[in-house]
Amino acid sequence: MSEVKEKEPLFSAKNLKLLTEPIDSRNPVTVLVLGICSALAVTVKLKPAIVMALSVIVVTAFSNLIISLIRNSIPNRIRIIVQLVVISSLVILVDQILKAYVYDVSKQLSVFVGLIITNCIIMGRLEAFALGNKPWPSFLDGIGNGVGYGLILVIVAFFREFLGSGTIFNYRVIPIDWYIKNGGFYENNGMMILPPMALITVGIIIWIQRSRNRKLIED
Amino acid sequence: MEHLINIFVKSIFVDNMVFAYFLGMCSYLAVSKTVKTAMGLGIAVIFVMVITVPVNYLLNKYLLLPGALIWLDPGFANLDLSFLSFIMFIAVIASMVQLVEMVVEKFSPSLYNSLGIFLPLIAVNCAILGGSLFMQEREYETLAEATVFGLGSGIGWALAIVGIAAIREKLKYSDIPKPLRGLGIAFIITGLMGIAFMTFMGIKL
Amino acid sequence: MSLLDKIKSMDRNSNAYTIIYSSVMVIVVAMLLAIASTALKPAQTKNVETEKKIDILRSIGKANGVEHAANKYAFVSENFNKYIPEQLVVSSKGDTITGVVAFNVDLKVEMSKPIEQRNLPVYKAKLDDGSIKYIIPLRGRGLWGPIWGYIALNDDLNTIYGATFAHQGETPGLGAEISTPEFQEQFRGKSIFQGDSILTFTSVKVLKGGATPNDPHGVDAISGGTITSKGLESMLFDCLVAYQNYFEKEKNSISHE
Repeated sequence: MSEVKEKEPLFSAKNLKLLTEPIDSRNPVTVLVLGICSALAVTVKLKPAIVMALSVIVVTAFSNLIISLIRNSIPNRIRIIVQLVVISSLVILVDQILKAYVYDVSKQLSVFVGLIITNCIIMGRLEAFALGNKPWPSFLDGIGNGVGYGLILVIVAFFREFLGSGTIFNYRVIPIDWYIKNGGFYENNGMMILPPMALITVGIIIWIQRSRNRKLIED
Repeated sequence: MEHLINIFVKSIFVDNMVFAYFLGMCSYLAVSKTVKTAMGLGIAVIFVMVITVPVNYLLNKYLLLPGALIWLDPGFANLDLSFLSFIMFIAVIASMVQLVEMVVEKFSPSLYNSLGIFLPLIAVNCAILGGSLFMQEREYETLAEATVFGLGSGIGWALAIVGIAAIREKLKYSDIPKPLRGLGIAFIITGLMGIAFMTFMGIKL
Repeated sequence: MSLLDKIKSMDRNSNAYTIIYSSVMVIVVAMLLAIASTALKPAQTKNVETEKKIDILRSIGKANGVEHAANKYAFVSENFNKYIPEQLVVSSKGDTITGVVAFNVDLKVEMSKPIEQRNLPVYKAKLDDGSIKYIIPLRGRGLWGPIWGYIALNDDLNTIYGATFAHQGETPGLGAEISTPEFQEQFRGKSIFQGDSILTFTSVKVLKGGATPNDPHGVDAISGGTITSKGLESMLFDCLVAYQNYFEKEKNSISHE
């Protein structure tokens, strides 16, 4: 049997499922209620949201990979500490790299990069998946969950930036002449750049997702 | 003194961990089904915040900031350990939570019975780490400021979770569209509560 | 090899194994992080410095186009060297302090000192038309955290030539408006002293409800950003008041030339 397993292609149906499931039906944010913390505050504009999403993908994927590689050597009693050390080291690396290469975005993200450490998705995936699975599937699972999470961030950021500032990626989408102050009829929705609207947007995303996929409805 | 009250009020209402920064949302959504448990978790968070923020403040000031080790030897004036702050903060928080758990268990079994189950949850509560990181980011100048900020943020978080728990208890009797039940409506209500809390933004102190 | 085998054969839950495991982990992690931090430090410092230079240049309107510059670092340092030929540090008495580089002065540290002991940086800018501007760094507190900026004065050391402000985390759309050109543009032409001669030091007021167009000291506050506006106002006052004696001396030396 083991021989068959070794020959399993890198992207077998089973492995692909690890990648795609967390994007919709097992989305960490809207279905498993993990890791809402820390990141919605960076969704005012698309650019920081995407950088944040990439950072989370890197951290989930590599912490899953590393923990899965050393899963058989971790002493049980300090399991959580080992996980925290791996996660926080990765986050520090990400933070340092952001500071060195995309300084302006790293300033916008401020403390929220650090807060990836306590993002429940990462801890949750380590406990639920990486500790019991081989490195490659764990890595894929990490990427899948990171993407599922990032997707929500990007959707929220898209609507907040579009409706709140009239721009996408800082490029003006709503022509400047449309604005009331320039004699037009349009005004940005100031509500969208305020924090509570991020929550309401997520609420609406959940509503839409569950209307489509009725299996997810809670009683 | 006035300055401290300012920080205190601001960290509860204006700078609320949940409504302004979405911190601690996991436990906020998971443990807010009844008021009683929400209250327990809220108190535990206040407790841990008041301890960890000042401890991390000292750690930051005397160990991590550039030149912070100067009290040890003037030769360390250029040493900058601030890249270690995430890992140090989380280590302090994890060990403090353990310590608090042990102390509470030994001296007040009744308190332990009501708080005990929540304490392990707290180590990975973003609000706690967030408190320490905000303390560092906003450069609070004295230990008193840091402590007051920790206390205020903890109370703000507790207030938020007790508030949503009370609303969710009543919500059981409402006729909500099916796909919105549970998580969806909890998000939207949190958003509405956040909007309500924003009215505090204009307060002058 | 034998030691490694020995460790491998140890019970995973024994104390010794746990201790060895955690020590090795701490050493490996500490080394990795230290290496990464040291390797990335130069790039990070360069970012911080470049940003400071951009802010300084912005106060005299010479940072335009930096977003589109092919090489941001080269663009900034070239312009900085071109327009800021001189920088100096003065005391609150107005004397020049030697041995301190203005660019390296940490304003955060200086602002926490009593006024007499502060090292006060001044950047002298020389524009294309040969006119001299004095750029003064500012730092204060907004609603959520620090706010800072630079203010450029004409060589009468009274009229504001330009100003730029930045903030760490003011409310978007409200307090954060201080970093918009529209808000900063209002400062141009305002004066920091009351009256023509050196009479009273007033700084610039950020007025709620809008300043009258002819008010030489007032600019419109940001609606909804009261605390940030107030913080900005006291930042201007607190930072500029320390330079009073220097302005005095500099003015005399200019008029005698």
